[in-house]
Parts: sequence; structure tokens; C-alpha cells
Amino acid sequence: MPGPTPRSRSYYDSDQRPAPFIEEWLELLRYRHLLWQWSARNLTLRYKRSILGVLWTLIEPLMIMTILSIVFSALFRFDLPNYPIYVLVGLTMWDFFRRSNVAMMEEITATQNLATRVYLPQSTFAVAATITYLVNWLLSLAPLLLIMLLLDHPVRGAILLLPMAMMVTFLFTLGVGLIVSTVATFFPDFGLIYQVLLTGLMYATPIIYPLDLVPEQFRILLKINPLSHILELVRLPVYEGVMPPPAAWFTGVIMAVSSLLAGWWIFSKYRDAFSYVR
Amino acid sequence: MPLATCVEIRPSGGTIPIDLSHVGVCFRVPNESIHSFKEYVLQRLQGRLKYRDLWALQGVDLMVRAGEFFGIVGRNGAGKSTLLRVISRILRPTSGRVIVRGSVVPLLELNAGFHPDLTGRENIYLNAGLLGFSRSEVDQLFDWVVGFAELEEFIHLPLRKYSAGMIARLGFSVASMVQPDILVLDEYLAVGDPAFQRKSLERINNFCRRGSTILLASHSLEQVEHHCDRVAWIEHGRLRALGPVTDVLPEYRRSMES
Repeated sequence: MPGPTPRSRSYYDSDQRPAPFIEEWLELLRYRHLLWQWSARNLTLRYKRSILGVLWTLIEPLMIMTILSIVFSALFRFDLPNYPIYVLVGLTMWDFFRRSNVAMMEEITATQNLATRVYLPQSTFAVAATITYLVNWLLSLAPLLLIMLLLDHPVRGAILLLPMAMMVTFLFTLGVGLIVSTVATFFPDFGLIYQVLLTGLMYATPIIYPLDLVPEQFRILLKINPLSHILELVRLPVYEGVMPPPAAWFTGVIMAVSSLLAGWWIFSKYRDAFSYVR
Repeated sequence: MPLATCVEIRPSGGTIPIDLSHVGVCFRVPNESIHSFKEYVLQRLQGRLKYRDLWALQGVDLMVRAGEFFGIVGRNGAGKSTLLRVISRILRPTSGRVIVRGSVVPLLELNAGFHPDLTGRENIYLNAGLLGFSRSEVDQLFDWVVGFAELEEFIHLPLRKYSAGMIARLGFSVASMVQPDILVLDEYLAVGDPAFQRKSLERINNFCRRGSTILLASHSLEQVEHHCDRVAWIEHGRLRALGPVTDVLPEYRRSMES
């Protein structure tokens, strides 16, 4: 038998706990190793076991591009140069948002058996799910770039701002995900309802259609939809090759931070109750 | 019928890693079961939503010393698992106070925390991560874990190729790679074939001798009798009796028969 080193000692007093909002954050920091391991596990399960897994992330955008170019360029004739790129920038972002939200809700259910047996900060799985799909989004940038080169679309220096825009998207998505996965914990059918809401949200975001095609009376819908503002931050540096104006950054960051704070607040407030409904 | 000592004098000597005072856990159960968001919204709107309180634990006072092999007995649904969850800080007590000093490690149920598509090696890191260990900490103990589980030849294979016994051995080895301050055994005491059962029991007993507290919730009274020093008998969420095995178990047996 080895002489095992004892783990760092911990002390738990149910009367001396910090506010949930702070406690959950401290606990996530304490379990940061698990956060990376769980994200790596998700990615391993997604990619390592099949070559098609990696290939698929490359093939999928190419196929979507082909379909959309045929449908929209040939039938609807949007007046946009290199329309497939316009669409793909939006779709890859939307995919990140939708998939990480759905994955978060599923993770909470999938880890139930575990969470009733061993103490873990519940936010670990939620954050890990979002990190997983952020990596997925990063991977999908490779075929996007390839398509840009193939279609001879200009790649400008502004594209270097994309990581910042992705960070804003990440924080916003995490916040929304924390809220919906809290609701989904208490009501399993919420996942189905949310899928419907997501479809609506997708069409309320200018992903596949150009902004100026929207009739005046519906513009307000896009204005109040945070995702359309965030999409702007992502699309401007890549598709237009220009730097988003400071006001757009300001709006985006404010939305991301408030979403994260609200999500974290709600999630940590109800976190204790999760184990009660299990 | 005389009860065993319900109120005990504070255990003398040594540290008290587990200290519960007046602990209660209350589940709010809706009067009509609500499983869906639609139902919830509808009932809420109609004002029909009413809850009643279900106390899974009530007024539990309990202190467990370091180095104690402590048993928890009771019928199904009496509150044994709830008690373990309160101590493992999975459940927050609704009332009362829980103080736990030191690391709490559960011996996980088969398959919990393991993934069939990952190799034995990857599963070791993942499972240890769930118990709070970092990769570098596992690096140092990795060879020991594989050796103790006797899985050297299989460690690169995905877990779905393992037998149930092999997975159980792996789970035990990960959970016990570092001496925990408190080891939680929920119905699981010995795993694997008889040889491994002896080996794992010996390791648990070693931990106990070196100061770990072992909590065993079990339906097997023979197990509890054989291993535990003291035992808590839980009935309807309350501590019915608490004391040495020789005092509590005979009474518990009598109540089971009647």
C-alpha cells in the first residue's frame, strides 16, 4: 500500500455558508479540475471515438452551405454578396447557442444519479457543457474560413476581433442556459417547450435573412432580441470585415454580463433544491 | 418496551468529524403530483397548487468520532440515505445544523460516474475528478489504483468490455486511493469476488484503525453486527435508538419480527 497523501482538509458547517451566489462560484473554483476534465470528457466522447465525429463538423457546414445557396440564392434572391458566408457565420453562432443550451438541460438529468451520491458543485456540468460547444464552434471556423477563401470573400484584419465576440456570446449563452436548465430540473417537459421557443427565437434573429428585408413593424422584434445584437458583433468582423462600433460592444457586453449574473443568481438560488426534487 | 439510550453523552476523546444537531430535512410535496411545466402553470394560475410537508428527517442529534465504524439501520424509506446525503452535503438541512470536518468520500454505486465508451484509464481520471482530485494528484496514484484493482491488462480497453466485477473493483480502488476522513458506504461494503472482498474490507478496516470514520447504511444486520462499533436506528425520519451494536440491534430485530 502506498502512503497516500491526505486530501486538502475541508470544513463544512451548514450554518456558516456564504450566500449561494458566492458559494457556488467558490465551489466551482475549488472544483475547477473537474470542470476541465468534464469538458474534456464531453469532447472525447464527441470526437475521439469516431473519425466521422471530427469530419462531420467539417462536412456539415459545407452541406448546409450548398443547400442554402441553392434555396436562397436561386429562389429568394437575397441581395447579399456571398450569401452562404452570411448564413454560415450566423448558423455557427446559433448552433453554439442552441446546442449548449440543450446539452445543459440534458446534462442536469444525465448526472442525477451521480449528484445524489457525491457532493459536487452543480454548475460544473452546466459550464462544462457550454465549454464543450464553444470548442465545437471554434472547430467549425475552419470550414468557414475555407469557404471564405473558396468564394474569394475578403478576410480582413477585423476578424481578429472574433474571439472577443465569441467570449461575449459564451457569457450570454451560459447565463441563458443556467436559467433554462434550472427550470428543466423542476419540470422535465420544459425541454420540449424550450425546443419550440428556440425555433421561434431562431426566426426572430436575422440568421438566414438580411436585416433590411424585415418590414418596419417587425424591426422592434429584432431590436429587443439580445441575440440579434450579439450576432451583429460576430458577423461584422467576419462577413463585413469591419470593426463593430463601440456602442455595439457596449450593448453586447452589458447583455452578456446581465444574462450571466441573472443566470448565476437563479441557478445558485435553486441549486440546493435540485437534490430535493430528485 | 425499553428503548436503548436515545440521548447519549458526548463521545469522549478524539475529534468529532460528524456533528449533527436537531437536523431536519423537509421535502415539500405537492398535494397532486406535478410532473410537467404545463400542469404547474395551470395549477398555479387556478390557485390549486398546495404543498404538504414531508419530514424525511426530524430532530436528529448525532455525533460520530474519528475512527468509528458507524452503522445506520432502518426500514426502507426510514431516512438512512437522507441522513447520508445530509452528511455528504448533498442535501442542505431544512432545520438544525450539520458540521462535517474533513473529506467525505462515497463508494459510488456501480456505473455512477463511469462511462462505457471511455477506457479504464480515462475513467480513473474522471472518477477521481468527481471525488475532487486533480489530474496531477491522480498521476501519482494511478499505478497503485490499477494494481489494486488488478486490471493492468485491461486498463486501455473501453469500460464496456469490463465485467461488472471489474468495474466494481475499479470503483473501489479509485474511491480508496487516498485515505478519506469519512468513507460513506450506502449498502455497498464489499465488492467483487471473495478474494477482492477480503482485500477491500481489509483496506476499509485499515482506514478505520488509522482514524477514518466509516459510515455504513445497510439492511444486512449481520454486516452491521460484524463491523460496526455503534449503530443508529432510524424510524420515520427520527432517531429511534443510538448506541453500541449489542444494545441497539437486538431491539431492532425484535421490532422487525413483530
